[in-house]
Amino acid sequence: MIAEITTAAFDALDKKGACVLEFYSKTCGPCKMLAFVLKDIAKAQPDLPIYTVDFNENPELKERFAVKGFPTLLFLKDGAEKSRLEGLKQKPAVLKEIEGITA
Amino acid sequence: METYDIVIIGAGPAGMTAAIYAVRANMKTLLLDKLSPGGQIINTESIENYTGVGAVNGAELAMKMFEHTQELGVVFDYKTVLSVEDQGTLKVVRCEEDDAVYSTRTVLIATGASPRRLGVPGEDNWAGAGLSWCAICDGAQYKGKDVVVIGGGNSAVEESLYLAGIVNKLTLVVRSRLSADNCVCDKLRAMPNVSIYGRTDVLSFIGQSRLEGVRVRDAESGEERIIACDGVFEYIGLEPVSAPFASLGILDARGCIPVNEDMKTAVDGIYAAGDITAKKLRQVITACSDGAIAANAASKYIESLCK
Repeated sequence: MIAEITTAAFDALDKKGACVLEFYSKTCGPCKMLAFVLKDIAKAQPDLPIYTVDFNENPELKERFAVKGFPTLLFLKDGAEKSRLEGLKQKPAVLKEIEGITA
Repeated sequence: METYDIVIIGAGPAGMTAAIYAVRANMKTLLLDKLSPGGQIINTESIENYTGVGAVNGAELAMKMFEHTQELGVVFDYKTVLSVEDQGTLKVVRCEEDDAVYSTRTVLIATGASPRRLGVPGEDNWAGAGLSWCAICDGAQYKGKDVVVIGGGNSAVEESLYLAGIVNKLTLVVRSRLSADNCVCDKLRAMPNVSIYGRTDVLSFIGQSRLEGVRVRDAESGEERIIACDGVFEYIGLEPVSAPFASLGILDARGCIPVNEDMKTAVDGIYAAGDITAKKLRQVITACSDGAIAANAASKYIESLCK
């Protein structure tokens, strides 16, 4: 499942379990292509929440996780960051990090 | 193992166009890329010389091209190709993921090129932490700050134009002189927050806990100076992504692949298209052209095998 999320909506989430946060920008080409990869992953793993966060619209959440650029993927378990990937990455690399929070 | 008519390695404009032509020629086609489809154009904010579409965002053009391949039923997979083996009328493509191996009658190499690095002291220390090769990805963090861009070609000047709209001050460092198209050079020179240093060599990247500047030397006077900055973007050309194909003996001294007018390499049944080929003009439109020619030639080659 992929859903757009704001800082306030993220704070209101039940953070139990695994989720992926993707920081993106509307003007960023690699972000658009990563969205394509994430859509592919979401098809195979519909129960995994993947939240997309507009980097420019959510400075508080960006600073909380010390996200410097986009796209940046954060892999969270029970609300805590377990790992991150910066830049456009291969689908197998993203799947490997997902395994780390879902295993 | 099933045998493909064509395995296309690299899903940039050359590879995607080849895939479109191949499936329309009823070829059993497999399109592979280690990342998502698009190639280098996904890092381009605006493409303004692709006939018929005006100014278009690189990623959006890439998505349109990919959607086109999917409408035609092209099979795409994420794979990093490790090697291609020539077994005469069959070729074997070996991949990193899942140790996948594909058998195919023809191969099209369209892996393109990746950014070249300067190789000066400090570069490895700050790569990804102040030093970037993608203004669109990393430019936003330098809002109101000072950056240096290195390079004088179209990529350097176009990305400088993008960055100059975000940052406080941009210094463009050029080894010789600007070689980009005059129209973009003129736009950049007109930006009030841009300085251009010509005939200047980059010596090193300096900083303590963060990147703080670039040490440069004037090529004529020999005078050295430090340009203070918060971030640096390198655009000094491209290196062909051709290592997996070295064992085929088809690379030239620069690692590019020379091809004939059919985009055929020195090996029968193996074609190359796009930025990886040995040529002078590397553009989206020339890559697409290469891909179309290569797929058509591959189709004719397979027909010749069946005679």
